[in-house]
Amino acid sequence: MKKKIENLKYNISEAFELPRDIIMDLPKLTLIGDKEASLLNHKGIIEYSRETIRINTKNGVFKITGEDLEIKTILSEEIIIVGKIKNIEIIS
Amino acid sequence: MLAIKIWNYFKGYVIIRVEGLTLERLLNLAANHDIYLWDVKRINNIVLEMKSTTRGFKELKKIVKKVGCRVEIIGKTGFPFLLMKLKERKMWAAGFLLFWTIIFFLSSIIWKIDIIGNEQTPREEIISLLKSNNITTGKIKYSLDKESIKDLLLENYDYFSFVSVNIKGTKLTIEVKEQDLPPEMVDKNYPCHIVAKKKGVIVKVVPKNGKAVVEKGKVVNPGEILISGIITSELGGETLLVHAEGEVLALTRYSSIVREPIVKNEEKFTGRVFTQKGIKIGDKGIQFMKGEIPFENYREFVEEKSIINLEKYDIDFPIKIVNHEYREVELREVKQNIDYLKNANQIAATKEINKELPPKAQIQSKNIRHQIDDNILTTQVIIETIEDIGKKQIINNRED
Repeated sequence: MKKKIENLKYNISEAFELPRDIIMDLPKLTLIGDKEASLLNHKGIIEYSRETIRINTKNGVFKITGEDLEIKTILSEEIIIVGKIKNIEIIS
Repeated sequence: MLAIKIWNYFKGYVIIRVEGLTLERLLNLAANHDIYLWDVKRINNIVLEMKSTTRGFKELKKIVKKVGCRVEIIGKTGFPFLLMKLKERKMWAAGFLLFWTIIFFLSSIIWKIDIIGNEQTPREEIISLLKSNNITTGKIKYSLDKESIKDLLLENYDYFSFVSVNIKGTKLTIEVKEQDLPPEMVDKNYPCHIVAKKKGVIVKVVPKNGKAVVEKGKVVNPGEILISGIITSELGGETLLVHAEGEVLALTRYSSIVREPIVKNEEKFTGRVFTQKGIKIGDKGIQFMKGEIPFENYREFVEEKSIINLEKYDIDFPIKIVNHEYREVELREVKQNIDYLKNANQIAATKEINKELPPKAQIQSKNIRHQIDDNILTTQVIIETIEDIGKKQIINNRED
């Protein structure tokens, strides 16, 4: 049932060319070089250290690894991470 | 981003340090409660440092209790905290304020009065006149009325042709322009020079007081010193200031040129008239044309009449009827008698010179030259006179 609704949402967003991240509540990750990453639509931080940041999203866990990572801002819908980003992994 | 930083600075923010084991949970809760946190730094396993607004910090305290962490403020930045600091250092704040008040106060006082262009009027006299009218150094500059100073000076010195009053910074500058005074009028208590008031060739210098510095035959320009009021005594080598007096006769030259066409067009009305009407609204006019003007040469006369006459109420009604009247003229070329024209020109030129001539001048010579170019007769009259060209100029502005 849930899957059906998801599919419907996907089809609608496809048909009307609406941004999928808004319709389906999916996370949106924007990278600026390897210096800054901003993640929209997150569901909370799981782990935060200088080397690893794990963030929960609807699609699973985003794992960002690098050096000297730092959370620049944290809001209910957006996280901005700065530092030297080396690896981004989605664990679903 | 800079705008947000400035905004945060004005609102004031705190740098806090949180200790605990479940720091991620704290961050999530804070985000859910709409507490704005930024520059979150991981110091070690159990310590985080972050920045938060003052209001955000109060809310954060509640969450911290729930999560079971410890929070402490390690720094306060921003304008409100600066104010708080100032409140503690009252004397310092007062001194700061006092400093600006004194600067402002001192810069709004007139510290110096400058008078420019007074050649025949002693500076002290003007200063004392201003003083008796309550205009001295030490007055607040906003209390001075430039126009009234101007009027005061023009009223008291009828030979001032122009006065301008300027306040720049803390200096009051009065610029005057004098008409030439007869020498007797200049106050004898003040040392002065005698200077040339016009260009001329020196014929004779008769110094009564002072030292003549020009010789016979020298060409002098306006403003050049003729008889100096500064005397060096032969004994001690000291300089003395005296009121120079004397007569300086010089040969001066006046010339005037008159041009007049020999063949002149004369106009004569024939009596034929052609009229047209138009309307004028504001400055724009509409003209009702009734064919071309049938004359080759004509003069136009325009008459305006308001539709509604409101003149007795002093209102200029903007819609007007315009009457254009064209009167035909006949042109005739008249050749004038050259001898007669020469004579007329000469008289006109001489009259022109007579206006400039001072009454005491002795006329030495009169030269008349005529020249005919195409249609124009040019007449030049040159008159040479001997006159006193001396003018007294007070040696002033010594004390500043």
